[in-house]
Amino acid sequence: MRRKISAITKTAAIVIAIIIIVAGVGGFLYWWTSLGPAAPRKIKIAVVSDIGGRGDLSFNDMAFKGGEEAEKDFGVEMIELISKTEADYVPNLETAAKDPDVKLIVGVGFLLSDALVKVAMKYPDKNFAGIDTYSQSIVKDKYPDKYPLPNLMDITFEEHKGSALVGAIGCLLAAYYNEKGGNYPYIGGVFGIEIPVLWKFEIGYKWGCDWALKWYEKKFGHKAPIIGEDSRYGSGPNWKDGMYCPPETPGECWYKGRVLWTYTGTFSDITKGYEAAKPMYAKGAIAVYNIAGPLGLGINRAVKEIAEAKGLKMGPPFWIGVDADQDWINPGFVIVSMVKRVDRGVYYATKLTIEGKFRDVVKEYDGVMTLGIGTKILGTLMEGISASTLKDLDEFVEMGVRAEKLTGKKVLPMPPDQIKETVKKMRESVAPWIWEAAKELEDKIRNGEVEVPCVFTKEKIDYWRNILG
Amino acid sequence: MASAVIQKFKRPLLESLLAIILGFIVGAIVMAMFGYDPIAAYSALLIGSIGSLDGICESLANATPLMLTGLTFAIGMKSGYFNVGAEGQAYLGAIGAIMIGSVIHLPYGIHLAAATLFAMFMGAIWSLPVSALKAWRGVHEVVSTIMLNWIALFFVRYLIEYHYYEPGRAERAMPVLPTARYQVLGASLTTVIFVAVAFMFFAYFLLWRTTLGYELRLTGSNPEAARYIGINSTRVIFLNFFLGGLAAGLAGATQVLGRPPSWTIYKTLGNVINLGFDGIGAALIGRNHPVGIIFASIFLGILSYGAKFMMYLGVDPDLTRAINGVIIIALSLPELYRIIRRFIVGREAE
Repeated sequence: MRRKISAITKTAAIVIAIIIIVAGVGGFLYWWTSLGPAAPRKIKIAVVSDIGGRGDLSFNDMAFKGGEEAEKDFGVEMIELISKTEADYVPNLETAAKDPDVKLIVGVGFLLSDALVKVAMKYPDKNFAGIDTYSQSIVKDKYPDKYPLPNLMDITFEEHKGSALVGAIGCLLAAYYNEKGGNYPYIGGVFGIEIPVLWKFEIGYKWGCDWALKWYEKKFGHKAPIIGEDSRYGSGPNWKDGMYCPPETPGECWYKGRVLWTYTGTFSDITKGYEAAKPMYAKGAIAVYNIAGPLGLGINRAVKEIAEAKGLKMGPPFWIGVDADQDWINPGFVIVSMVKRVDRGVYYATKLTIEGKFRDVVKEYDGVMTLGIGTKILGTLMEGISASTLKDLDEFVEMGVRAEKLTGKKVLPMPPDQIKETVKKMRESVAPWIWEAAKELEDKIRNGEVEVPCVFTKEKIDYWRNILG
Repeated sequence: MASAVIQKFKRPLLESLLAIILGFIVGAIVMAMFGYDPIAAYSALLIGSIGSLDGICESLANATPLMLTGLTFAIGMKSGYFNVGAEGQAYLGAIGAIMIGSVIHLPYGIHLAAATLFAMFMGAIWSLPVSALKAWRGVHEVVSTIMLNWIALFFVRYLIEYHYYEPGRAERAMPVLPTARYQVLGASLTTVIFVAVAFMFFAYFLLWRTTLGYELRLTGSNPEAARYIGINSTRVIFLNFFLGGLAAGLAGATQVLGRPPSWTIYKTLGNVINLGFDGIGAALIGRNHPVGIIFASIFLGILSYGAKFMMYLGVDPDLTRAINGVIIIALSLPELYRIIRRFIVGREAE
C-alpha cells in the first residue's frame, strides 16, 4: 500500500515538474515577446500610494483622480501601486522605475520622502515627483553635492493661503450669526504636533479672520457684532475698540485673539481632538478648523454631541475640513474644507514630463514646485489650493461610492443625493456675502493685492502670534 | 548517508511540491475568473522576484523576519504549545532595538550587538507573563498570547509617540544610529540575515542535540512519558516561551537594525505588523523544522515581493493577497493535517 502511494506521488511529481517547466518557459516567452518592438507604445506614469491606499477619500484617491485626468488629456497610461505598509514604498517605487515605458513616478504623501530620494538616485533617467514631500531637503542634508537632484520634484501647496480663505469664512460666519442674535465670539483651530509646517496653517487662518472682519467693517460701515467689537479680547495701552495696535505695525490695528487654538501634540489620538474642540465650542467658537488629520473625527464627535443635545439638523456649530474636501463626513456641520489639489499636482507633473519641462522646473525652483493660489510655474498659471465647492463635493461623494464598492464597507454617512442636498442647503442657509468675501479674498491673493504671511521660522511665528494672538 | 537523507525528506518534499502546484493552480483559476491572465501574472511574479539580483535581495530581506517568527511558533509546537505570541514580541523587539540603537552612543560592533541582544531580551521578557499564567494558573497560551499581542501594540505605539518619536517627524520613531546598523548587501538586504540563519541553526542544535531540547520535544510528543521520567514541566514552559520570545524579538530587530531605508519603526507599526502571523504560515509550510522554515520563509518572501509585479500588471492588490493566501494555505495543509490528526488521535487515546 505504502509503495503504491509513493509510486503514484513519484509519477505525479514528475508530471507536475514538467508542467511547471512548461508553464515557466511559456510564461517567460509570453513576457519576452510582449517586450518586442510592437506598435508605438503608450507612455506610462505610475502612482504609488501611501498606506491609506485607494478608498481613503483623501490624498491617495485624489492622486489617482489626477492620474485619470492625465490619462484622458495626454493619452498616458496610469499604473496604480498600493502600499500596504511602510516597507512597501521602496519596492513599489522600484517596480515602477524598472518598467522602460514609465516616465514619471509619483509618490503620494510625505511618508514617501526618504523612499523617493533613494529610488530617484538609483534611477537617474526617470522622473520622480512627491506629493507634499520634502525629499529635496533630505538630499540637501545628506548629499549636499547632488542637491537639487535633477529628476526629483517635491510638489507642495500653499497651505497658508488656503487657511486664510477658511479663516475668513469662519469669522464672517460668526459675524453673520451674531447679527441674528447669536453669541459667537471665536473661531477655533485644533492642531497636531507643533512642527513648522503647521505654523503656516495657524498664521494663515488667523490672518484670514482678521482680513474678513476688516472686510465686514468696510462693507457694512460698522464693526462685526461681538467678534468685531467686544473688549474681551484685550485692553491696555495698545488696544483700541477691541483691536490691537502694536508699535511694530504703526498705524495698523489687528483683530487679535479671535482664534482659540490648541496644539494637541498628536496626529493620531482622536480623543485629544475631541478634548481640544469641546471647550472651544463651549466658549462660543462657531467653527473649529481641523489641522491634525484624523483628529478631525474627534472634533466631529464634539459637534455631534452638541447637535444631539440641542436636536440640530445643521450647524452652528460647524467644523472646517483640511487637505481633502471633508464636507461629506457630517453633512450640514462642515461648513467648508481647505483643499490641497493633489490631483492637480499629479496632472501638472505629468504635463511637465510630456512637454519635457520637468527637469527645467526642478532646476528653476530647486526641486520644489509649489502650487497655490495665483502660482505660476515657468510663466504658466498652475494652482493647487482652494476652498471646497459643491463641485468638489460631487467628486468626493463619487469617490466614496467607489470606495464602498471596493471595500464593501460603509463610507458615506447617508445616501449620495442626500449628502449633496444637505450640504447645498447648509451653504445657502448662510448669507451669500460670506462666500462672496471668500471669492474676493481669493482673487486678491491671486492678483497679488494682498499677501498672506507665510510663516515657518520661530522668529516669525513669535512676531505674528504677538499681533494676532 | 546521502541517500538516507533524501529518503527521509522525500515524502515531505513531494507533499510540499504538490501543494505548491495545487496552490498555484487554484490561484490561476481565481485570476482567470476575475479576467486576469494567470500566466502573465505568474511570470511577472517570478521574473520580478527572482529574475534580478535586486529582486532576490528583496525577497530574502522579506524572508528574514519570517523565519524567526516561524521558529517561535515551531518551538512552541515541539512542546505541544500553540504559541501565537510572536506578533507582539516582535513589536517589543523592534522598540528594544530603538531603545539601544537610537539613544545610546557606542562604538560600531558593540552597539550593533547590544541593540540586537537587547531586542531579543525584550521579546523574551514579553513571553514571561504567558509562561507564568500557563505554569501556575493554567491559562491557555492562545488566550494569553493574543491578549498580550494587543497590549504590545498599544504599549509600543505609546512609547513611540511619547518617548522615542523623531523630532519633526510625527510618523515614526528615531532611526537607529549608523553604528547600530547591519551592513547593506544589496537592495534592502543586510547582513542581519546571517544572524537570523545562525539563530535558526542554534535552535536546531538546541532542540535536537541537547538534553534540554530532548526534554522540550518529549514534552510535546509524549507528555505522560515526560512527566514519568521527571521532566520539570514548569521549566519546560518557561524555557520554551523564552526561546520563542528571543526569536521573535530578533525578528522585530531585523526590521529596525537591518532594513534600509528607514532604520526605524513607524507609529502604525506598519513595518513590523503581521510578521508574527505570517511566521505561522512559514512554520506550517516548513513542517516546524528550522531548516524547513528557512526555505518556507524564502518562498514566502518571493511571493510577497513578486506580488508587487502582479499588482503592476493590474491584478487587484487584494486579489494578489488572496492568491498568495491560497498558495500558503495549500502549502500548510500537510502539516495542518498532521497536527489535527495528532490532536484527534490524542483525544481518543485519553
